[in-house]
Amino acid sequence: MTRRSLQSIARAAVVPDGGTSVALDDIAGVAAITGIGETAVSGPSGREPRQMALEAIAAAIADAGLQPADIDGLMVSGHIADQVTADDFRRHFGTRRPLWFSTDGGAMIWAGTCGHTAATAMLAGKATHIVNVFAVDWASRRAAGTGTPGDWHAGEALKAHLEVPMGWYPQPVYFATFARRYMHEYGLTEEQLATIPLTFRRHANGHPGAVMGGRKLTLEDYLNRPPLAGPLRREDCCLISDGAAAWVMSPTERARDMPQVPAIIDGVGHGRIAGAPYISQQRDMTATPQVFAAPWAYAMANTSPSEIDVIAVYDCFSSTALMQIEDLGFCRKGDGGSFIQDNRLHHTRPRQEGGIPCNTHGGLLSHSYLLGASHVVELVKQLRGSAANPVTDARRAVYAGFTADESSTLILRRGR
Amino acid sequence: MMNTPQLDHPLTGPFWKAAARQELQVTWCGACNHAVWYPRANCPDCGDPLHWRALSGEGLLASWCEVAAGLNPNFPTAYTCALVSPVEAPHIRIVMQLANSPAKKALRCDMPGRVRFIPLQQAAGEPYLAPAFEPYHDDDTACDKQLAPG
Repeated sequence: MTRRSLQSIARAAVVPDGGTSVALDDIAGVAAITGIGETAVSGPSGREPRQMALEAIAAAIADAGLQPADIDGLMVSGHIADQVTADDFRRHFGTRRPLWFSTDGGAMIWAGTCGHTAATAMLAGKATHIVNVFAVDWASRRAAGTGTPGDWHAGEALKAHLEVPMGWYPQPVYFATFARRYMHEYGLTEEQLATIPLTFRRHANGHPGAVMGGRKLTLEDYLNRPPLAGPLRREDCCLISDGAAAWVMSPTERARDMPQVPAIIDGVGHGRIAGAPYISQQRDMTATPQVFAAPWAYAMANTSPSEIDVIAVYDCFSSTALMQIEDLGFCRKGDGGSFIQDNRLHHTRPRQEGGIPCNTHGGLLSHSYLLGASHVVELVKQLRGSAANPVTDARRAVYAGFTADESSTLILRRGR
Repeated sequence: MMNTPQLDHPLTGPFWKAAARQELQVTWCGACNHAVWYPRANCPDCGDPLHWRALSGEGLLASWCEVAAGLNPNFPTAYTCALVSPVEAPHIRIVMQLANSPAKKALRCDMPGRVRFIPLQQAAGEPYLAPAFEPYHDDDTACDKQLAPG
């Protein structure tokens, strides 16, 4: 396969002012996701992140039809405490094999970019079967008072000195401020925004194991809830969860002989705002850095939004999900509020009928807060045809990863 | 996690020392003649050292958020937090609270107003003077003009 030059991708990937696209080499078709594994997801459970990670890894290796000794690469988060090490892996599985190890894995944007990092490692001959894993116990930590998702923001010097003393903290306050501006510029109503949490909740209601699986949510319920960070309600904000998810990435030529339908990694994008990480200063409060990531991924994959069948967007807040749907190119900026009406994000409305099924497992709002790792696992299930809320004949899927100042895009294609 | 202003911090101390004198200051590049925010040592465009410059305190409400009681443990009662773009530097946004917090009057994005200084106090900590945005309202803009001392 001839790979495209950086220059030709850069020419095709037009990004707006206010940020940059990371120049990622073409790895289209090099690697595929060949195995997936998950633990149960829950509120405070007392489960240890490393134990959860090893459980998810074991499930992913078995799903791929491999043995632990076949694994020679391990990717974990470099940003979340208590992730597994190569020694943890060898000790737990009783293997002696050296492992290529990377902390550029995990969830958030890295759930997207790890596909590029892994493919690059395969091309360099560093590893063949690479596991990416993410585990989190923030539900237990919050219950025990030993940590919150806001800790990084409160610990960054300029944010600590110029935002926290004013009360611009924690994250719901940031994204409510941006949502308010979006409502002002584009006329988005609360009823329109409600479509995001309501649709994701309906998906969770049909997804076994989703944290909010047994809880219905109606528009009336939603509108009757008081603002938490106005205009956002609690239902617009992600859960806080315990759990882990993992996947195995293998060279595509090997994937053809493995038991599962491969999810081929066709495109990866990674963008960030100018002046990162200070999102209060981003040029456009009504957009996400996805506008700097998606064009590169589409160019690498030689595809476009019109060819995508199912998406999973990082929905830390409903408004962030709405903006990312726009920023992935499914509708014009500002049209999102009307675009998502008429069941368009629901799994029963496929592309041929004008839909774009989104977060079919329930997302961070209603499945669990695994920071996007479950999103990628769900997309692989959709491409295999094994999702609980199936999208008919899904061939191409997109994950939109997010850290507030950065976004990533991962384009997957059904391999057979 | 609580963070009260640190007056001796090399990058952010001057902002808070100015606030204590009821003055709004931001870092400025003399060569480019524009504000650079958040503060840093040198201009990202030309590399020249930045200096602190006082602003008039007039600006526009870029956006705001009504924070419910209990969401932010540092400020346990309800308040309104805002991003304000100064008239001299419309491309930057300064984080602050609303002067009458929570908001008593209808707010809208891009409404004009001015900064005044109010004491803020976090759940555990000493009070400090901080900039706060006070919107001009149609009914009191005229009043302000009459009462302005000169």
